Amino acid sequence: MLERVTLERRATAPFWLSVATYLGAVLFALGLSLIILTATGVPRDALFQELVMEVFFDRDGLARTLTAATPMILVGLSAALCLRLKFWNIGIEGQLLLGGIFATTVALYDIGGAMRLPVMMLAAAAGGALWIALPLLLRLRLGVSEVIVTLLLSKVAFLLLQHMVFGPFRDPTHNFPSSPVLDAVERLPRLGFGNVHAGLFLALAAAGLCGLMVHRLRFGFAANLTGDNPDAARSLGFPTVRIMVVVILLGGAMAGLAGGVVVAGTEYRLTQQIGLFATFNGIVVAALARNEPLAVPLVAFLLAGLAVASGSLKVFYGVSEGIILTIKGVILLSLVTAQFFTTFRVTLDRTGTTERAA
Amino acid sequence: MSRAAPVAETRPVPRALESAVAREEGIALHLRGLCKSFGTARVLEDVDFSVRAGEIHALLGENGAGKSTLMNILGGIYAADSGGVEIAGRAVSINAPAQALSLGIGMVHQHFRLAGPFTARENVALAAGALPELRGRGRLEARLSEAMARTGLEVPLDRPVERLSVADRQRIEILKALSLGARILILDEPTAVLTDEEAGRLLALMRKLAEDGHAIVFITHKLREVIAAGDRVSVLRRGRMVLEGRPVAGIDAETLARAMMGEEAVARTDPGPAAPRREPGEVLLSAEALSVAADAGQGGVHAVSLSLSAGEIAGIAGVGGNGQQELAEALVGLRPMSAGRLVLKGRELSSAPVGARRDLGLRYIPSDRARFALALNAPLSHNIAAGEVRTGALGRALLSPGRLRALAARLIAAFDIAGATAGGARPVRLLSGGNAQKAVLARELDDAARLIIAHSPTRGLDVAACRHVHDRLLEAAGRGAAVLIISEDIEEIMALSDTIHVMSRGRLTSPQGPRPDRAAIGRLMLGHA
Amino acid sequence: MTLAFLTAWAGAVPGYMTPLLLASIGLILCERAGVLNLGIEGIMAGAAMAGAVAALAGLQPARALAAGTGAGLLVSVPFIIAVVVFRAPMIPAGLALVAIGLGASGALGRAAAHKNFAGLGNVGFPEALTGLPLVGRMLFAQDAVVYLALIVAGRASFVLFRTRAGLQLRAVGEDPATADASGVDVQLHQLAACIVGCALIGLAGAYLSVVGSRTWTEGMVAGRGWIALALVVFAQWSPLRAIAGAAVFASADALIPRLQTLGVDVPVYLLSMLPYVLTIGVLVLFAALGWHRQGEPGHLGRAYIRQDR
Repeated sequence: MLERVTLERRATAPFWLSVATYLGAVLFALGLSLIILTATGVPRDALFQELVMEVFFDRDGLARTLTAATPMILVGLSAALCLRLKFWNIGIEGQLLLGGIFATTVALYDIGGAMRLPVMMLAAAAGGALWIALPLLLRLRLGVSEVIVTLLLSKVAFLLLQHMVFGPFRDPTHNFPSSPVLDAVERLPRLGFGNVHAGLFLALAAAGLCGLMVHRLRFGFAANLTGDNPDAARSLGFPTVRIMVVVILLGGAMAGLAGGVVVAGTEYRLTQQIGLFATFNGIVVAALARNEPLAVPLVAFLLAGLAVASGSLKVFYGVSEGIILTIKGVILLSLVTAQFFTTFRVTLDRTGTTERAA
Repeated sequence: MSRAAPVAETRPVPRALESAVAREEGIALHLRGLCKSFGTARVLEDVDFSVRAGEIHALLGENGAGKSTLMNILGGIYAADSGGVEIAGRAVSINAPAQALSLGIGMVHQHFRLAGPFTARENVALAAGALPELRGRGRLEARLSEAMARTGLEVPLDRPVERLSVADRQRIEILKALSLGARILILDEPTAVLTDEEAGRLLALMRKLAEDGHAIVFITHKLREVIAAGDRVSVLRRGRMVLEGRPVAGIDAETLARAMMGEEAVARTDPGPAAPRREPGEVLLSAEALSVAADAGQGGVHAVSLSLSAGEIAGIAGVGGNGQQELAEALVGLRPMSAGRLVLKGRELSSAPVGARRDLGLRYIPSDRARFALALNAPLSHNIAAGEVRTGALGRALLSPGRLRALAARLIAAFDIAGATAGGARPVRLLSGGNAQKAVLARELDDAARLIIAHSPTRGLDVAACRHVHDRLLEAAGRGAAVLIISEDIEEIMALSDTIHVMSRGRLTSPQGPRPDRAAIGRLMLGHA
Repeated sequence: MTLAFLTAWAGAVPGYMTPLLLASIGLILCERAGVLNLGIEGIMAGAAMAGAVAALAGLQPARALAAGTGAGLLVSVPFIIAVVVFRAPMIPAGLALVAIGLGASGALGRAAAHKNFAGLGNVGFPEALTGLPLVGRMLFAQDAVVYLALIVAGRASFVLFRTRAGLQLRAVGEDPATADASGVDVQLHQLAACIVGCALIGLAGAYLSVVGSRTWTEGMVAGRGWIALALVVFAQWSPLRAIAGAAVFASADALIPRLQTLGVDVPVYLLSMLPYVLTIGVLVLFAALGWHRQGEPGHLGRAYIRQDR
C-alpha cells in the first residue's frame, strides 16, 4: 500500500516551506482546539474574548499570564538546553520539585541570613542539577538511556515532595498538605502589577544568558557544535564530555530554579501542585521555540495565556483543565508530525511517471 | 539503445564455457539507458549493461562511480529515473525488493543484508516470505539443503549470524540467494572482506555457479581478480559506462586502469616538473611500533613505525579497511593506542587528548567529512572558524562575531568556496562535496598547521576539486608542514608523496628504492591484500 | 511473618502483576517493530477512564474491559499514524500522546470519578483449591484477566519467536533495511504491531479501573506505564521473561501496603518510592553487567525510509 510512495530525505528545505510547515501545524492544532472547545460547550463568540483579550489585553489577565509564564520560561529553557545536546530530559518535573524542596528547606531552616533569597534560588538550582546528575552519569558512563531514568526519577521526586508536605514540612495549621508559609524576606518581591514578581526578571535574565551563551560565548559555540555533531567536535579537540556535563547540569538547574521561583514567588509554600505538567510544558515550549533560548520567553508567554484562559474557562463554562492539556498535546503532536514535510520529499511513483508532492 | 548492438557483436566465447553458453543461449539481464540522480547529483548517466547466463561479468569502478546505485536499482531499493531493465528478454519493472527476489535476482551486498541476532535459517526464511511458492517450512528447508549440497558450502545454520565469521556470513548470503531461486547473482566487492585463500575459494564457486547456468555480476575494483576470474568486463566511471562488455581475454590491466581512473588521473602520474623537493627539515612526528587493538569488525593496527619531517609529504597507499582509519584516529587522538609511542615535535603524546595535539599543530582531514569534520546544519562560517574558536583566537570567553565573520569571509575567498554567502551564514549541507571539502581545508590548513593527516582527501570529488585539494596540500608542505596522505588512490599517492608506504592488514610496508613504480606498490597492495 | 501474611501477600501479587504484564507485552510488540511508545501512560489513562465509564453505564465487566481496550486503541491512533506513516520523532510524539490521554480522560471522565461499581469477580475455583496454604489464593482466587494475561504472554512469545510473521516483525525492528531488502513491508508490520500493542496497553489500563480499584480517579495510572517501559528492558524484549519481571515488581508493589500492618515504621511515601528506586537500581545493575542492550531491537526509536538503508 505504501510502496508506491517514495520518500527521500531532503538535503535542505526552502525557508518558506519551514515557515509554512510550522505555521500550518500550529494553525491546524489551534483550529482543532477551537473545535474541541466549542464542542465542550464554550460559546463560539466567547472564545476570542477568553483566549486572547482576557489573558493578553486585560490588566489583571496579563498579570496572571506573566506570572504563569515565569516558571514556564525556566522549564522551557531546561528542555531546550538539554535537547540542543540531544539529551531527552523527561524529568523536568522531578528537577523542579527538588528545586522547590531545596528552596523551602533553606527557608524553613533560616539558612543564609540576609542572603536568604539568593541562597534559596541557588539551592533550588542545585537541587535541579542534582536530580539530573544521575541520569547524566548513567548515560555517559554506562550508556543507559536517559529517557527511562529521568521519567522514573520524576516519580521519585514527587513521592519525596509528598513525604515532605505530609511529613517533616507539614503545616499543622493548614487543611491541605503543605509547608508553613514563607516569611516576607523569603519571598520574591512583587512588582506592583498583579502577582507578577521578581522571578520574571530572573527567568528573562536566564533566557538572555542562555541566549548569550548559545550565540556569543566560546563555550556555547562548542556546545552547539557538540550537539550538531559530537564526532566532529571531538575531532576538533573540543572536550565534548565536559561540555555535555555542563550544559545538562545547567538544564537541570533551570528546572530547579523554576521550582524555587514557584515556591518563593507565587505559592509562598511548598505544595503538591507546584510541578504539575512541568515536563510536558517544558517540552512543548522547547518544541515551539525550536530550542532557541531567546524565543522561549515569547512562546512561554503565549502558552501561559492558554493556561490562564483554562482557569476562567473552567470557572465560567465548566471546561476541565484536562481539555487544555489535550490541546497542548495536539499542538505538540501536529508540530512533530508536520516535520515530515520539511524532512522528506514525497514522490508518488505511477508506472514511469513521477509526480512531486509537497 | 544504439550502444547495445556492438556489445552483441563482440559476443565473446568465455573460456571453458562453450557448453554452458550453448545450453543457455541469451542474455539473462539487460539494462538500457539507465539514469539516476539524487537531487542535483547525476549518479548514473545512460548506463547500458548486459549479462549472459553462464558467464562472470566483472563490473569495475572506483568508489563513488555508481556501482552501488546500479545495484540498488536492480534490487528494487531505488527507482531509476529513466531507462529499462530486461530479464531473459522480457521488459520488467522492479519497484520493490520483493519483486527483485521473485524475478530471480540475488544480491550479495558488501554490507550483508543479514539481521545479526537471527540465525542463518531465520535470515533465509525472512527473505523467503516474499515468495509464495516457498511458504511452508519443508520446502524452504529442501531448497536450502539442495543449495548447500550443490555448492558444497557448509555453514552453521542455527547460530546467530553476528557470531559467525565474515566469510560464513557471505556464504549465507549466497545460499540465501540460491535457495530463493536466484538465476542472476550480483556480488558487490565480495573479496574485499576475505583472506586470499577464502577469496580463491569464492572465485572458484562463482565459476562453478556460472557453469551451472547462473549469470554472475562481479563488482570489484581489483584488476587482478577481474583478469583471473572474469569472462567479460565493463567499467563504470563517474556514472558512465566507459567500457562495456569487453572480453577479458583481449584486455590488459593497463587499459582497465586507464578506463577506471580516467585519462587525466593516469596523466597525473607523470610527476610533472618533478615538484621541487625541499630538503626535509626537523622530524615532526615519529611513531614507534604504534598499535591499535582490533575491535568488532575492525582489524586494528600492528606495530606501525613512521617518521615525518617538516616539508615532507608521506603517502600511505592501500585498499580501504586495512587499518587506515584506526591509524589515522590513533594519530589524531580519537582512538587509544594499545602499544607503542607517539612523539610530536619532540613531545611524547601517546595518550594526549585531541586538543593538546592540535595545539602542537596537528590537523586532520578525515575520510568521512560529514561524520568527523563538519556540522552540516551549522553555518559555514562556524565550521571553518571552529579551529580558531577552540584556541581562543576569536575571543577567550566572548566570541567576536565580527572577527569570526571576517575570518570566514577571508577563508571563503582564499579557498574559493563556491555556493557560500559572503559571511558564510548558510549551513554547510547546502554546499557540494568539493566545496564542503574546501571548507575543511580552509579550517585545517591554517598557518599554525605543522602536521597534516589527510585521509582520502579527494574521495568523491571531481577533477577540478581534486586538483585544488592537491595544490593546497603541496602548498602546506611548501610552507614547511609535514603531510601524511592516506589514500586508496595510488595515483594520488604517487603524484604527491616524497615517501611511500603501503598499508595492508594493519601493517605498514615500504617499497624499495627512492621512487618505486606502480607495479611495486600494486604488488604490495594487491599481492598481499 | 506468618503463613497467613504470606498467603495474603502472594494472593495479591497477580492483581498488581497483570496490568504491568499486559502493558509490557504491548510495549514489547511495539518495540520489537522498532516503535518506542512513550505514550503508554496516556493510553492506560484513557482506557482506565473509558472502562470505568462503561462499567458505570451498566455494561458487563468483560464488555467494560473491551470498551476500555477500544478507547486505549482509539487515543493511540494519532500517535500511530504520526510515527509510522509520517515518521514523526517518537519521543515527543509519545509525550504528546501522554498529554492527550491524560487530558482527555480527565476531561471526559469527571462525572465518573470516585464512583464505585461491581467490577470483575474471580473465577470460581472450588474451595479446596483456593484454600491451599501459600499458593491457593495466588493461583486460584483470581479474575479471568490474570489467566488471560499469562496466555497472552505465551501467545505473544510464540508469535514473535516461532512464526514467520513474528520473524518479519522482529526483523523490522532489528534491521529494517534487511527486512525491506527481504521484501517485508516495514510500515505495514509496524502498523500491525502498534495496533495490537496499543490494544494490550489499553486492556492493561482498563484492568486498573474495571478489575483493580473498581472505581476511577484521575491520575490512577500513577506511573505504571513508566515502570512497564523499564520492565521491557529487564525482560530483554521477551514476553515470557516479562512475566518474571512483572511478578518481581508486583511483589514489591503488593508488599508496600502490607508492610505497615507488619509494623514496619517507614513513612508511606518513602516506601512508595520502592518500585521506582528498585527499577533504577536494576537498570544500573543491568547496565553495569552489560545486559541492558540484550534483546534490544537494533533500530528502536528511529524512523526508517528505504533510501537510508
